Amino acid sequence: MASSAATAMLDDGSVVNKVFYNEAIVRKFVIAAIIWAIIAFCLGTYLASELAFPQLNIAPYFNFGRLRPAHPTAAVFGFGGNVLFATSFYIVQRTSRARLFGGRAWADFVFWAYQLQVANMCISYLLGFSKSQEYAEGEWHLDLWLAVIWLSYMTIFIGTLTRRKEPHIYVANWFFIAYMSMILILHVGRNLCIPISPFRAKSYSLFSGVQDAMIQWWYGHNVVGFFLTAGFLGIMYYFIPKAAGRPVYSYRLSIVHFWSLTFLYVWVGAHHLHWTALPDWTQTLGMAFSIMLWMPSWGGMINGIMTLSGAWDKLRTDPGLRFSVTAVAFYGMSTFEGPLMAVRDVNALSHYTDWTVGHVHSGALGWVMLVSFGALYYLIPALWRKPGMYSTKLMEWHYWLAMTGIMFYIFAMWIAGITQGLMWRAYDSHGFLQYSFVESVAAMHPYYVVRAIGGGLIVTGALMMAYNAFRTITTSDESILWAGRRTAGALAAGE
Amino acid sequence: MAFSHAIVEKNAFVLIALTFGVLSIGGAVEIIPLFTIHTTVEAVKGVRPYTPLELAGRDIYIREGCYLCHSQQIRSLRDEVERYGHYSLAAESMYDHPFQWGSKRIGPDIARVGGKYSNDWQYAHLKNPQALVPESLMPKFGFLAETKLDYSDIDMKLKVQRLLGTPYTDEDLANAHKDIEAQADPTADATALLKRYPKAVEASGKTGSVTEMDALVAYLQVLGTMVNFADTSEEQLKQ
Amino acid sequence: MDSKKGDLIVGIVTGIFGLVGLILAAGAQDIEIYIFGLSLVGFAALFIFGLVKRFYDEKDVAHGVDGQGGH
Repeated sequence: MASSAATAMLDDGSVVNKVFYNEAIVRKFVIAAIIWAIIAFCLGTYLASELAFPQLNIAPYFNFGRLRPAHPTAAVFGFGGNVLFATSFYIVQRTSRARLFGGRAWADFVFWAYQLQVANMCISYLLGFSKSQEYAEGEWHLDLWLAVIWLSYMTIFIGTLTRRKEPHIYVANWFFIAYMSMILILHVGRNLCIPISPFRAKSYSLFSGVQDAMIQWWYGHNVVGFFLTAGFLGIMYYFIPKAAGRPVYSYRLSIVHFWSLTFLYVWVGAHHLHWTALPDWTQTLGMAFSIMLWMPSWGGMINGIMTLSGAWDKLRTDPGLRFSVTAVAFYGMSTFEGPLMAVRDVNALSHYTDWTVGHVHSGALGWVMLVSFGALYYLIPALWRKPGMYSTKLMEWHYWLAMTGIMFYIFAMWIAGITQGLMWRAYDSHGFLQYSFVESVAAMHPYYVVRAIGGGLIVTGALMMAYNAFRTITTSDESILWAGRRTAGALAAGE
Repeated sequence: MAFSHAIVEKNAFVLIALTFGVLSIGGAVEIIPLFTIHTTVEAVKGVRPYTPLELAGRDIYIREGCYLCHSQQIRSLRDEVERYGHYSLAAESMYDHPFQWGSKRIGPDIARVGGKYSNDWQYAHLKNPQALVPESLMPKFGFLAETKLDYSDIDMKLKVQRLLGTPYTDEDLANAHKDIEAQADPTADATALLKRYPKAVEASGKTGSVTEMDALVAYLQVLGTMVNFADTSEEQLKQ
Repeated sequence: MDSKKGDLIVGIVTGIFGLVGLILAAGAQDIEIYIFGLSLVGFAALFIFGLVKRFYDEKDVAHGVDGQGGH
């Protein structure tokens, strides 16, 4: 009986230091993350192509306006979300030396319910059901379902923390707590609305006009700040030290980083509304805090990169670590660019242009995507008890394809955005506006083509990763033994 | 140091409570005063709730994701005011649940597109934008002209809008269906409608059949036209 | 450590969500609520089926039938 109980446990988790971790759930999230990554990148590339070649719009379901919300949903919530679920469940168990709270079924519920949610969101946008609040487009019924998932997720995570056998809560978990708490606040705050009927997917926001705009960008920018930044900083604080085999560079810096980031980020959303009907005092606060945010962001970047002190050589041999470290460099780059664009006079030029789109993607691709890949390349062999990824060469290819794709994307968007901004405000010698709007549209064509090519490179890289992951997981290479599941499982089964 | 961070690191609930506290401050300071400071929304005249047809058109605008390419917010910058018209006021979107200011101009700002083009131009352009503007990247929306507008839910919509603070009168609610039919059909008598909703523009629909395109054009044609800037004083524009 | 009771509660709550989905699908006045309702029903049915299957699979393993359980 005892051995059969052990087998049951082993089927689900692993034995490390006599703690049974729930790793089955982490594996599921890892696979889902890869699938959503490919969907999201394909959607993005198709959308980019629609802007380069508008004939690609297929009315009504695949018109740009309906397809566009599906791309950030698949990317941020599908890919990013699954990476965050996978890593947070992995990290919280390891750093607490405790099994996931709430049992297997609850964790599985969170997994399947979340996949259903992301799929339902994408489908509903194509069908034309949208609240039109960027990154919170899902109608009220989807909001409620996400709330169920999120509260379950938080309970499981926090429950695991309270079970911990380590006296200290590891720094990665602070960031995970900040991210999930803020997402809870944002999700509730942004989605307050009244449905017109319990049987119709149509609602109106509780707020209107200028207040609604401020709440939108408080939400929008903090999804970036907490989902895409704090959450992924949690990943950085665990996987970079792990892969480099070094402790975090500065413990004090991580404390300062954490509290200043959580405090300052919340204020900056107003910089999306410079020169608009939002009152000046709010714009000024948004700008001032955006500039202040530069400091904690760079503090975090230094903490991440300097963790490699004494282990720089690993960058040559470990492409997974190279993904993570490059990501942190991009994080530094876009958190420098962000405060710059939040200055009202710069924003006068950059806002409404493709510069903003480029900025978002230097963060989303350069930081979030690369740090995710770094974590995935660490997790896949660890979770499936393999000596390493199936092919290091494919990882190298993936790295360079992703890098080239990002470069195509952000350089194209920088040029496009600044060109647009300058064309819109250009005056001729008679004091008239020099260009009609549509001339600025026509000027964008080459950059939109380059961006679509960049997207294609990123899709190709992701496909390589998927193939590499598939071969790693299914390989029967027994040459190197992990002191894990395979051996222990065989023993327990009495083979 | 009297305070030791270890307390926070060793107590999950202290950490969570502190985090929630720190996370709440910024949002509270920036958002709550926007509801309490009454000058946030300028005291201008003319802004009225959308007619039922405009509201239905606005919901189509949202459904098709128009806000992803068109802003409705003219910034207070010289070139924008010259290109698009008077900078947008907070008051002009005070009945917009949710707001449609947008964040990206793949196409031009349309905060004041109302009355800028004829109905005929709008219908033709929505059906085939490239026929009128060859360089345009806009998708074709011809299907809107072939889809009958389903306004069976308009009563529910107006009721919820009223619940949210949009000043629809009992008369507005009672006449919602009639108003839609009167505004969509240029041959219908719209005097009752115009009395309650000044400046409403009649669409160019056919008698007895209201299309989604009619609704969308009615909405586009009212954008930015409600405030008469000629008799609005500097004082009224103060925020 | 992980009680079967917890799994049972999750199963029951999922069943309730499935029921809500059924009500939504039945009363739906637009395609989105219909799809959402049905997707909840399908989700609940498959999820509960998975729980039941795992329960019996593990019972079989415990009794030495088909000892090669696992993925």
